[in-house]
Amino acid sequence: MPSVLAYHRPGNLDEASTLLAGDNRRALGGGTVVVPDSRVQRDVGVELVDLQALGLDGIESDGDRVVMGAMVRLGELTTHELAPALLRDLARRELPSALRNQATIGGTVALAESSSVLLAGLLVHDAQVMLHGSTGRQLDDVLASGLDGGIITAVSIDSTGHGAIAATGRTPADEPIVAAVARTGADGVRLVLTGVAPTPIQVDPADPTAGLSPIGDFRGSVDYRLHLAAVLSARVVEEVAS
Amino acid sequence: MNITVTINGAATAIECEPFDTLLAVLRRQGLVSVRYGSDTGETGASAVLVDGRLVNTDCMLAAQADGHEVVTVEAFNTAELHPIQAAFVAVGAMQSGYSTPATILGTWALLQEHPDPSEEQIRDMLSGILDRETAYVKPVEAVERAAALLRDEATEPFGPLVLPPMTDGRNPVDVDPADARPTASPAVPRLIPSRDVPEMAVVGKPEVKVDAIRLAKGNPAFTDDFEARGQLVAKVLRSPHAHARIVAIDDSAAVALPGVHAVLHHENTPRIKYASGGQSWPNPHPYDQVSFDDKVRHVGDRVAAVAAETAEIAEEALRLIEVTYEVLPAVYDELEAMADGAPVIHDEDDTTDIHDRDRNIVHHIEAQRGDVDAGFAAAEHVFEQTFRVHQVQQVPIENHISVAWLDSDERMVVRTATQVPFHTRRMLAPLIGMEIKDVRVIKPRIGGGFGAKQEMLIEDIAAHLALATRRPVKLELTREEEFMSSRTRHPQTLTFKTGVADDGTLVSQELRIIGNTGPYGTHAYTVQTVSGLRGLTSYNCPNKKFDCDVVYTNIPVPGAYRGYGAPQAEFALEAHMEDIAHELGIDPIEFRRKNWVVVGSELDIAPHLGERSVEEGELDEYPKVMSNGIEECVAQGRRAIEWHRTADPAWTTPPDRPNIRRGLGFAFCMHGTAIPFLDMGGCSIKINDDGSFNMLIGATDLGTGADTVIGQIAAEVLGVPLDDIKVYSSDTDMTPFDTGAYASSTTYISGTAAKLAAEKVRERLKERAAKLLGVEVPCTIELRDKRAWAPDGSSVSLEEIALDSLHMDEHEQIMGTASYVSPDCPPPFAAQFAEIEVDVDTGQVTVVKLVMAVDCGVAINPVTASGQVEGGMIQALGYAHCEEFAFDDDGRMVNAALGPYKIYRADEMPETEVYLIQTMEDSGPFGAKAVAEIPKDGVAPAIRNAIRHATGARIDDLPFTPERVWNALHPPT
Repeated sequence: MPSVLAYHRPGNLDEASTLLAGDNRRALGGGTVVVPDSRVQRDVGVELVDLQALGLDGIESDGDRVVMGAMVRLGELTTHELAPALLRDLARRELPSALRNQATIGGTVALAESSSVLLAGLLVHDAQVMLHGSTGRQLDDVLASGLDGGIITAVSIDSTGHGAIAATGRTPADEPIVAAVARTGADGVRLVLTGVAPTPIQVDPADPTAGLSPIGDFRGSVDYRLHLAAVLSARVVEEVAS
Repeated sequence: MNITVTINGAATAIECEPFDTLLAVLRRQGLVSVRYGSDTGETGASAVLVDGRLVNTDCMLAAQADGHEVVTVEAFNTAELHPIQAAFVAVGAMQSGYSTPATILGTWALLQEHPDPSEEQIRDMLSGILDRETAYVKPVEAVERAAALLRDEATEPFGPLVLPPMTDGRNPVDVDPADARPTASPAVPRLIPSRDVPEMAVVGKPEVKVDAIRLAKGNPAFTDDFEARGQLVAKVLRSPHAHARIVAIDDSAAVALPGVHAVLHHENTPRIKYASGGQSWPNPHPYDQVSFDDKVRHVGDRVAAVAAETAEIAEEALRLIEVTYEVLPAVYDELEAMADGAPVIHDEDDTTDIHDRDRNIVHHIEAQRGDVDAGFAAAEHVFEQTFRVHQVQQVPIENHISVAWLDSDERMVVRTATQVPFHTRRMLAPLIGMEIKDVRVIKPRIGGGFGAKQEMLIEDIAAHLALATRRPVKLELTREEEFMSSRTRHPQTLTFKTGVADDGTLVSQELRIIGNTGPYGTHAYTVQTVSGLRGLTSYNCPNKKFDCDVVYTNIPVPGAYRGYGAPQAEFALEAHMEDIAHELGIDPIEFRRKNWVVVGSELDIAPHLGERSVEEGELDEYPKVMSNGIEECVAQGRRAIEWHRTADPAWTTPPDRPNIRRGLGFAFCMHGTAIPFLDMGGCSIKINDDGSFNMLIGATDLGTGADTVIGQIAAEVLGVPLDDIKVYSSDTDMTPFDTGAYASSTTYISGTAAKLAAEKVRERLKERAAKLLGVEVPCTIELRDKRAWAPDGSSVSLEEIALDSLHMDEHEQIMGTASYVSPDCPPPFAAQFAEIEVDVDTGQVTVVKLVMAVDCGVAINPVTASGQVEGGMIQALGYAHCEEFAFDDDGRMVNAALGPYKIYRADEMPETEVYLIQTMEDSGPFGAKAVAEIPKDGVAPAIRNAIRHATGARIDDLPFTPERVWNALHPPT
């Protein structure tokens, strides 16, 4: 049983949508996760639908907001003049150089990894996820309840304000055990934590650990993650406030 | 499906499958510079440029590249090196060179965008290409140099910075330690010459590596770079259980799958016992392995193997093999495995020589000098301290790979990534029912080994399948398999007990170790003896005792890993010595100095440990330390790390950073150079018509530069440039025997063999030159500058001598063959310093700087020697700081991927400085001792002692991950 049964490269979103509606189809962004995962031998193979030809790789300004196409590579985000400084920094932290040239913003949203600092950055920038054929959804809602099969076309953020990150890892560039990302904007301070919930999660700056139940692993136990959440939240909130 | 990709400028139509990666397709196109390291892009070895951007081809489908432009390093290859390639060659930025093509492409892309990049930009580019060898120091230098070359700026030749000594070998000379530290690029080795060492023409010079061009160009060089016609692909079915009996195995569906040529397992493979460690004959017992067993003893253990037309078919066949297991209780901890009621891991009848099978104790090792109990009774102070060290892996970027086939004479040929081709031949032959004479093992370039490839790990599987199919068979491990089924460093529980007199003199010292060897013995015996040796040799002490149990468990198998038992013991020893000094109120360096070995000190425990150990009383005299540069190492290292800051509270506790504490730490390091009376190397040299030489060596360059260094030794003797020595290694049909690349032996042992062989050739050259020049006494002839010189200044070229001897008169092939085994094991010494910061609110340790000053005798090549130190230090940093195997409750590794298993990247490295302290070791070739392993010994204790300095916390477990440090700072009340 070949693992990847077919590869499709649709030329427009409707075609992509039709292709993805079939059984065992998967959208392919950069492929850094989907390709290795799909190539594992299973009982049922998959068909991959590559989104590269849909014109989803632009970054545009829209008033106070910036709209980033789903296929924008993280590497491009690290230097793009329209990207807020915090997001440029977090895109660089998210992955090392070559992987960063492949991985996409849409893929980052779709994977919804607990430890993603870039997702945390999108959340503090009030990200909305644009989906083909439906209205945009708040990123926190997408993370909480899933994508439900739609094609991500873009992520829109409020590019105002300024932000910061505080993180603890085994080494300086390690994927953080816990990271706290904050931004001050017109609506005050937003604070998001990674590594303490199944996805990055927005928390109350006044009581950042309330209601959290992290999953412990060899890099950090439950108690230690809660400790880090409190320490790093205080640091990052102080930094953006100053 | 059909795709069109512009590859290196040419539109190329390619037929491929939807599941094909771009890596697979490019390699099928013959672009072998694109290399496999993993399936998920973490290593960067497979990176190429797609539309000008560096991307990984292992996690990208070929179909994704349809319509795009791909550039590989082959596009740069002309007769002349591209300036980027030239820069990498010039500064010694390549060791194995496995990932160098990817790095060169990344450099090109970076310099297109930033012709004058910052170091931060360079390191950011390099972050995507993991390097286990260079510590990124010289690659950063190479990128800067490449940028300068492309800007048409002049560059200086790359070589060491020569510094004056700060001591006379024992005491400080007239140098003010507060003098400004010497400044140079971190990539530049600081060399402190010894007046005992004469100036030489080739030895001691920063010669370019002899394999530099093929590595920089990505030419076919590695095991996977040559493909035999009709080659099949092998895959291995691995145990999902930590301990289980195979009750039944049904391979019928797998055998029936079209494209499958063989399925092997315990029911159809001969049961022949062996031990997989690549060691000299007779391998230490027990022989507790067979190619395929009816029992599995760790997650990832072998169950069956398949050879098929493609990897995909082989993988599908593995899924079709139905195995029925009886799952058994498993045990992972070495102390629990010895306890009553623990599951017995080797309960089979045909494994003999296990020390205590029912308690899982495979070896019990003891050695003693003097009477430790009397010593403890006499000592004014007795200290006891227990340490636990963890499991880590070598992580060569090239995974294990072997290709086996029957040649036209139906002999078995195995081309394989091995450090031990001759041991592999001898160990493989009986497993496949062939005689040694009918087995040939070829070692091409190797993409790093670090001990993992000092093992006959997978060659038997490839050979069994080649015999079963009569076709060439390739077996290459995936990264996950590499983690779970290759080899690792032994975890240990170590207890030091030390008696000290009031004045700080050691009176008695005992080291007890419980070593964890997983389910198979392999290197366990010798590794733990080295732990005992290294733990009890650094310091003079009249009473010493080593007591060790080595225990079977169900973790992935430990084996040989660079350092080979020393890093564990020296971590414990140097932490223990630090703490004793503080308890006694003595300066920690002074306390060590009071006790450490000096020239003339006896290496008293050494003869009582190891495969060729002797009893006390059997020796006429103990071996002694004959060269020792530790005082100079300490002096240079202290200045480099600015040790005076230890006395400055404002530095330790910076007022503007309330959560930060800074610390400096020191460790004294001592290692060995080869195994006396055991490690052996051979060399054969012959002259060619043009006065150049072919040199055949069995030594196994695994990226270290061994071929270069041994070539330099021969060139020095023969009076020719290195380029006139053409080095070939290694091939069991072609080259003389060599035990292999391990035990810090190659320069010293194989280098001496080369020196002896070259001296034999030199004698013949002198004889013939004397005849041609009309000189009566041949020994008055000197060889230099490719000529033979008479005392009167007349000379004849080596080419003329060669032509005369091969074609004209009294014909002979001038050649020399020699071998060498050493009675000595001269220790290299080093001072390791670390500067760290601790975030006391989170426990995160940041390593700011590492300085290592090494006495390796005469560094034959200071650039490759410093590269060894840089790479070794950073592997040691990983051991201390962030690398660890983690398991779930069922013994399955939960972090068998790079990233979760964390090795350092270019963009997070501490600053490093390397000092080479020259001493003259008379027993070594041109004064050389070893340098390969000592960099592994001191980083963990230096960081541990720096954490203690910064915070007062004493942490006796590795690694220093944030939660462990935080727990130490906030112990439960």
